[in-house]
Order: sequence, then structure tokens, then C-alpha cells
Amino acid sequence: MTNPVLLSLLMVTASTLAASAAQAAEPIPEPVIPAQVDRRDVHIPKIRANDVEVGAFVGILSVQNFGATRSAGLRLGYHVTEDFFLEGTYGRSKVSDQSYRQLGIPIFSSEEIPLSYYYLSVGWNLFPGEVFLGKGWAMTSAVYLVGGVGNVNFNKENHTAFNVGIGIRVLPSDWFSMRFEMRDQMFTSDLLGKNELKHNFEMTLGAAAYF
Amino acid sequence: MRRVHAGHEYVDELRFSVRKGTAEGSRHDTHKDKPSRFAEWCVCVLVAFALPAFADESRERVLVADPYLELHTGPGRAYPIFDIAERGERVEILVRHTDWFKVRTAREKEGWVSRAQMEATLTDAGEKKTFRDVLLDDYLSRRMEIGFAFGSLNHDPLLSAYTGYRLHENIDVELTIAQSAGDFSTTSLYYVSIVSQPFPDSRWSPFLALGAGRFTNVPKATLVSAIETKGGLANAAIGLRYYVTRQFFVRVEAKKHVALIDYNRTDDFTELSAGAAFFF
Repeated sequence: MTNPVLLSLLMVTASTLAASAAQAAEPIPEPVIPAQVDRRDVHIPKIRANDVEVGAFVGILSVQNFGATRSAGLRLGYHVTEDFFLEGTYGRSKVSDQSYRQLGIPIFSSEEIPLSYYYLSVGWNLFPGEVFLGKGWAMTSAVYLVGGVGNVNFNKENHTAFNVGIGIRVLPSDWFSMRFEMRDQMFTSDLLGKNELKHNFEMTLGAAAYF
Repeated sequence: MRRVHAGHEYVDELRFSVRKGTAEGSRHDTHKDKPSRFAEWCVCVLVAFALPAFADESRERVLVADPYLELHTGPGRAYPIFDIAERGERVEILVRHTDWFKVRTAREKEGWVSRAQMEATLTDAGEKKTFRDVLLDDYLSRRMEIGFAFGSLNHDPLLSAYTGYRLHENIDVELTIAQSAGDFSTTSLYYVSIVSQPFPDSRWSPFLALGAGRFTNVPKATLVSAIETKGGLANAAIGLRYYVTRQFFVRVEAKKHVALIDYNRTDDFTELSAGAAFFF
């Protein structure tokens, strides 16, 4: 009962398989030029950047009509290009109405009240240069202008404020800087009856590290 | 702190340069034999600062492919060029500050090289890959951004700061905090937004944003019957970014805030602001 067609098909298949098996057994010819694959170790260089500046400062803040007091604060800056940097500043100080109290007209609830401020500013390195120590050493420096907007809070009130300043920064090393800065913090206040622009000068000495 | 070149060092270099046949015209050196007492004292005080902040074990090296690299005394275009690294020389990259790279040459000289010149160098990873490609990869891999803006919220001054993260080529997520100190009250806002940029590769890139968050309004203490208001906040914005450099941009936006004061009361505010931001 075997089908002759099926039988012949089977035989053909078997012979083809045998032929391919014989072919596979033949040795592969060796390449004329052996490939020498030498893989390079590809990696993206990690270069330490120090564009972020974190620092602290101490100084004297003079609040218009209320005398001058010590101030201290923190700075966080980012150097975008060699010319420009962005900077956030937060500072604290105190305001005293002592001179008004002596006249019997207290302004605040207590003689000395806290003051805090923050600013977001843009800085411009106006005069980059070098500072020479004696004959043998030099460090990079810059005279910069800074200006920005922020907020001054005292006597439980927020005042939108502007600040402009000038400073000098010197870098004893690539990761450390020191600076001396003067800035004017301006805001309008109606605390003494009349709504007017107040100028508040601050002089600070700061130190910062670059990351 | 950089050591100003001493006299004998200068002579040595001169010999080297004569041997190499390089020009000596633009040298910036001070002839001197010994630093003064004052300088020595300063060295003692400041030596601690001169110590490297972090110890880098494996520093990157690149191969100079241009005729030479110019070494400046500081990270800026105006600082004098005091030395060079020649073609074929390998230099070690110590640190980057904005667009300037501090390198150390094979002759142990340290100076600052501009990005434009560094881009022409070749990396150790492969002769085919220039350092320029590496820098481009570095910029494209930056996903975080920080910015601030100043504007008006219904005619009161508004100050805001935000941080953003790039989820996708076109989509950013941003967290914003803002404060508006007006004549009668202070409003504080914080909200999260989803920002869509249809043309992120364009130098002028428009964007649309939708956000939700909270607000607090505190009236001035001197006002009569002043009560603090708190509530939910939703907003929609349209704006435009302009890329000043690859990592720094300015942006302007118009935003409509809807304050959800209670179940049956809402109020809306219009914000117009301009600001600057950068990637890092």
C-alpha cells in the first residue's frame, strides 16, 4: 500500500540531506589576511567642572532711617560664561528703632527686630585680571557688577526689592574665591508715613568654594 | 595661585624653544631670582588653598591635532598666553571653568585653553572621535535646568524661581516657587507644570505649559480685617525661549492663574514675566 510518489520524494530528500552534510564537512578556506580586531576602550571623558560657587559672607547693612547692623548670609552662584554669572543671595540682619525709642516714639513691637532678604541677580565680570602678591605670585581676579530683584522682609512685611552692586573677587586657587562687595538694596516703604524708595547700603566680605 | 615665572625657568624655556624653533615674541614673564619675603609669607598662608580640593586619580588626556594649543594664565580671553602645547603632544585636562579648560602639558606647565581650541583635539578613546563630539555629547546629556524670572501678577511685582527636568525631547516637568509682594498683600505660589516644546532644537523655541499647585495670600498686618487666604491653583501658559548659548537661555511667558479659593469661588490672575535659565 506504499505510495510510490511519497517514496520517491523521501529518497530525494534523503539524498539532498546527505549531499549538504558532505558539503559541511569540507574545510573552510583560511582568509588571506587574518583580521586583527583590536577593540579600543571607548569612554566619554568625565571632566570636573567648577561652575557652581557656594559661599558665605559677613558684613554691615545700613537700613535707611534705622542705623547699621551686622549682616550675614549665603550665596549660590552659577558661572554661565567667562563674562556672566547668576547668583542667589540670602541674608539676615537686624533693624533697631532705638533712636526713635529715645524720643518716645517706638516704631516696632520690640527694639530690635529681625530682617531677612533674598535676591536673584545677574553678574557681569567687568574687569577680569590678575592680582600680584609681591613679585613671585599672581592670582586671577575680577571686578564685577551685579544687579537683581528680590524681597526684603522685616516688621512682618515683604517688600519687593532691587539691588545693584560692585565687587572684587580674587581666586587664590581654582576652587576657592574671596570677595569684597558693596551693594545698594532698594525698596519702597510707608513705615514712616510716606511711601518712598529707601536705599540700604551693604558692605560684605565673603568666601566661596567652586564645585 | 599661579607662580610668576622665575628667571632661570625662562632661560630653560628659551633653550627649549630655540631647539624647537618656536617664536618667543609673546612671552609674558617677569625676570626674577627669588620671591620676596612677603611672597614667601603669603605662600605659607595660602598654600592650603592651593592644595587640590579633590584628588582625581584618572584624568582625561587629549592629543593636540592643531599646530598648537595656547595656554593662558587665567580662564578668560584677555589673560596673556604664556606657553603652548605642540601638535602631537598629549595634555592632561585638570578642570573646566565655563568654556575654559585647565590643562597640564607634558612639560608640566599648567594653563587655561579655550573651548574652541580644545574642540580640535583628539580623544584617547579613538583618533576618529574629536573632543568636540565629546563636548556635544556632554551638553546633550544635561537634563536638569534652573532659572528665575521677574514679572507682574495683576500689576504687583512677581519673582519666581524654577527647576526643570527633561523627560523627553519635547516634554519637561517643572517645579516653580514664586512670591509677589504687593501694596496690600504678599502672595506665595508653588506649582508643578508640564511643559511642551514643539520645536526643541530651534534657537527660538516656543512652549506651552499646564500646571497645578497651591497659593497663600497674606495681607499686610496694618490692614483692617485682614484674613489669610489659602487654596488650590491651576494655570496655563504660553511662552518663548531664546538660547543665548548651548546651556543658557532667556525666556518670556504669559500665564493665566486660576485660584480655587473655596467650593464656589474662584479668582483669576494674569502673569507676565521674563527670566533667564541654564542647563547643568
